Amino acid sequence: MDDLRQAQQHLGRSLHKARAGEDRELSQKVRENGEALGQMLSGLLKMSRVHALDNRAFDAPVAEFARALATLQDLVGVVHLVAVEDQAYLNEIRLRAEGKPGLRELGGELKKHNVGGVSFHAAMAEPEVRRLVAGFAGPAAEPHPRTALRERLEQDGVRTVELHGIFRYRTSEDLETGEVDPAAALQRTMELAQEAWEALAAGRVFNPLPLRRAVAELIEIGPSSPELWDAWVTRMPRQEHAVAVALHALLLGSGAGLGKAVLQDLGVAALVHDVGYAAMGGGAALSGPEGLARHPGEGARVMLRQRGWSDAKVRRLRAVLDHHRGHADPQGRPSLLGAVLRVAEDYCSFQRVHGQRITQADVLGAMSRAASAFYDPLLLRLLVNGLGRWPPGTLLELADGRRARSISPVRDPETFATPLARLCDPGTGAPVGDRIDLAQGPAVKRALPG
Amino acid sequence: MGPEGEGMATSTHPVAAGLAAQSPEGAAVSAAVQALARAARSFVLYDASNEVIRQLLQTWREKALAAVAQLGETPLEFRPFDVTFRGEVVYHDPDREKSLAFKLFRDGVRRITLLPGVEWSELLQLLQIVALRYTAVRQQEDDAVTLLRKADLPGLKLVAVEGFAPAEERPEPESGEKKREGVKPPEGWDTPLPRLPGPGPLAWQPVSPEALEALRESESEEALVRTALGLGRDLLSEAVRGHWPRPNRDLLQYFCELRDALLAEGKLGPLRQLVDLIAEAGAGDIREELLAGLGDARTLDLILEALPEGATDLPPELLAFVPLLGLEAALDKLAVEQLDRRRALLLKLVLARLPRAADAVLRRLPQLEPQLARALATGLAARAPEKALEVGRLLLQQRSEPLRLEGLEALARAPGEIPLPPLLSLLSDPSEGMRTKVIEVLGRRGDETVMPALLDVLQTQERAPREVEALGRALADLAPIQAGRHFAGWLRPKGRFLIGPSAQQKRLQWAAVAGMACLPGDEPERQLQALAQDAEDELRKHCLAALARRRKGAAHG
Repeated sequence: MDDLRQAQQHLGRSLHKARAGEDRELSQKVRENGEALGQMLSGLLKMSRVHALDNRAFDAPVAEFARALATLQDLVGVVHLVAVEDQAYLNEIRLRAEGKPGLRELGGELKKHNVGGVSFHAAMAEPEVRRLVAGFAGPAAEPHPRTALRERLEQDGVRTVELHGIFRYRTSEDLETGEVDPAAALQRTMELAQEAWEALAAGRVFNPLPLRRAVAELIEIGPSSPELWDAWVTRMPRQEHAVAVALHALLLGSGAGLGKAVLQDLGVAALVHDVGYAAMGGGAALSGPEGLARHPGEGARVMLRQRGWSDAKVRRLRAVLDHHRGHADPQGRPSLLGAVLRVAEDYCSFQRVHGQRITQADVLGAMSRAASAFYDPLLLRLLVNGLGRWPPGTLLELADGRRARSISPVRDPETFATPLARLCDPGTGAPVGDRIDLAQGPAVKRALPG
Repeated sequence: MGPEGEGMATSTHPVAAGLAAQSPEGAAVSAAVQALARAARSFVLYDASNEVIRQLLQTWREKALAAVAQLGETPLEFRPFDVTFRGEVVYHDPDREKSLAFKLFRDGVRRITLLPGVEWSELLQLLQIVALRYTAVRQQEDDAVTLLRKADLPGLKLVAVEGFAPAEERPEPESGEKKREGVKPPEGWDTPLPRLPGPGPLAWQPVSPEALEALRESESEEALVRTALGLGRDLLSEAVRGHWPRPNRDLLQYFCELRDALLAEGKLGPLRQLVDLIAEAGAGDIREELLAGLGDARTLDLILEALPEGATDLPPELLAFVPLLGLEAALDKLAVEQLDRRRALLLKLVLARLPRAADAVLRRLPQLEPQLARALATGLAARAPEKALEVGRLLLQQRSEPLRLEGLEALARAPGEIPLPPLLSLLSDPSEGMRTKVIEVLGRRGDETVMPALLDVLQTQERAPREVEALGRALADLAPIQAGRHFAGWLRPKGRFLIGPSAQQKRLQWAAVAGMACLPGDEPERQLQALAQDAEDELRKHCLAALARRRKGAAHG
């Protein structure tokens, strides 16, 4: 068979498969209700300049807005309506503005109060919608119109709405030119992971696209990029488990040479791997051995709600189901992504639970020795090669008496034991000082817990 | 007509007059972009195996590689309706439905640069991603940008919108709002941790490329089917162990999606494994739930699509699905299927479910077209003879004459005694076809008790020759001796002077000739020959035809 014929067959199969991967019904519902929401909001804001807010003309669009919002809340949880230039997006899905001039004008309406987007954290009753519209209908209060609007809404009892500033498109060139702040990328990732967790806990369908975009951004920045790890050590709450596991998993995955597609899947799985706990009832969920045993299966169960076939879904489910399966499990070894998560999670969990008593290096050293019993020895070796003698976050006492915190993974074998670091406040251990390259000295005297 | 022809997928006119690329470089790039757009859009219009698509793929390959060979790095800038190359419009299409530029721009693609050394496989991947946008596939899982990102194509460079970034000309202070607490894991989550030994030394340890290759193998495309099947098995175990809510549509959906994916890829072996792993599942009720769910109409569609051309039977791997196939789905499909080959296969599938599914088939019979109803009624009578009477009764209640005729046929084939009074009532049916058929059936399956009714019809009612013949034959079949006596009296009627035989006499004579063809012995033949010699025109022909039938032993034709 010639290569064109093969190409034809391959394309045909791929398209067929992709069609099988669609959840058209859900996408359609989200899009339609999103368009209705944006269109109604834009229309209500315009009407508020013509009619008094108690005018009956508001009744129908207010009711439609409340209905669309309630439907969307049910489907996707927190609703993020964002206007960028003349486009509008709902939870990153572009809303079709063709034939809907209101959507194109939404950005302009919001901008009067220096607002670029609105997040709705809960459904709203019709009187609340009217108060929201009334807030926007008022004059923009200088010098901080958005802040003033937020306060007014707060006073009026509109407390489930969050206002955002003006947005512009962020392109992949921004990554290349360093315009993307790794801390902001991590912050976005953390918030999205939290939202995904809440959505799944509330019985909604998992929507991987926002998380995938966030993970793709981290991969573009570079899973072993010192800037990314510096941001994590110095500007993020490191105890945020999902992001910590995702970062370590991506480092390990890139060390293993996984392709970008699989790395994306790994990153997304890492961000939701423990969601089974949420499915078992949030704070009141089972803890201890029973919770430990049950949560991978529960996590897979709630993630099964996502419709449509894709390789990514299979890998993700497998990883979530396997993330506590040991290397020597009698039922069989975990999948590669599951094994990576197991290693990354245990490394992070030991720090979380015992971090005040032992150092990151001790955790890594102990895990290395236990490799064949619990972990894939090759993955442990890769983790050691990736994190180095003083893994990111390690508090170090330097030979000159100063204290610093390691902020980079291994850059090359020669600097395995001499990472980049940031000088710390001697009292709190917080990394507040300059960035130093320990390859240039001073030597590390010892690592400290905490 | 070739792919460049009118009325093709290429009916768009991407580069409008006045916007056409002017420079030779622009023209080369324009040809490549248009080739990409045409090839991608062709998947909307044609089956992937169509020859036109092959030609369009070839054009895309030639034009793209030629442009890169001529120009080196080839940046394509995407605007809402245009693609530009170094400021020159090389593609313009204002039609949102057809525009390549619009579809990629709306997904966030801003620039794609073809780099020197770009390979055909990469161009093909790009085409695949664009084609996905044309076929209106909007996966939740991916959009064009994430697809391009993960395709990891070194011969292409992508600039895309990655999201939104704050862009405040007038930054405002943070709200200071207290963030929501959100859902948190319980105390003591992810514990107890494993008991680890004391820490060992940490040192860089080289890892061989072969070891990494082996590690990655498990995540390869090829291994994915194994992963998916293994996942299915483990999900089933979890569902049992964790007492998942039942019925579980999500779990069923996973297996349906896996089935669809395997069928779409033509992976019949793993498909068989899928059925086996469900069949081997521990909990009987979950197993039954899944097996029943998998036998939906879609399975049937996919199985039919997966059949090799010319196949008249199911491949062995697909046979595993036969017990699962929902009979209702098969009957639905059978009712509308146009292709004879598929129809025959569907019929086989349905018949293979008999006699167990006899009631379901029976219920559906009245809704099927007569030929199909006949085939199924025959199948029912053969495989579930006890249902034959019911088949007959059911079909006789229908309005459609062909179905009612099939009902009569089913009664004729039914084993044991059949109810005769309902059949006798049909002797006065308005339809000649029905009356004739019921006479035939009465002749085959009736007894002497129906003789008076048949005689009454013959003697008192004007009937067409074919029906009269049937009456004669029926009488001969039911009671040959008694009928022979009647026929003897009817064969040579004594007509009135100058007027000849009455209509009734002629009718009886006609019946007698037909009936005598069925009587045993030489005498009937001799009498028919004699009558044929004396008779004229039609009666003579009728006698000769009766003799011929008699000789062929097929008097009931």
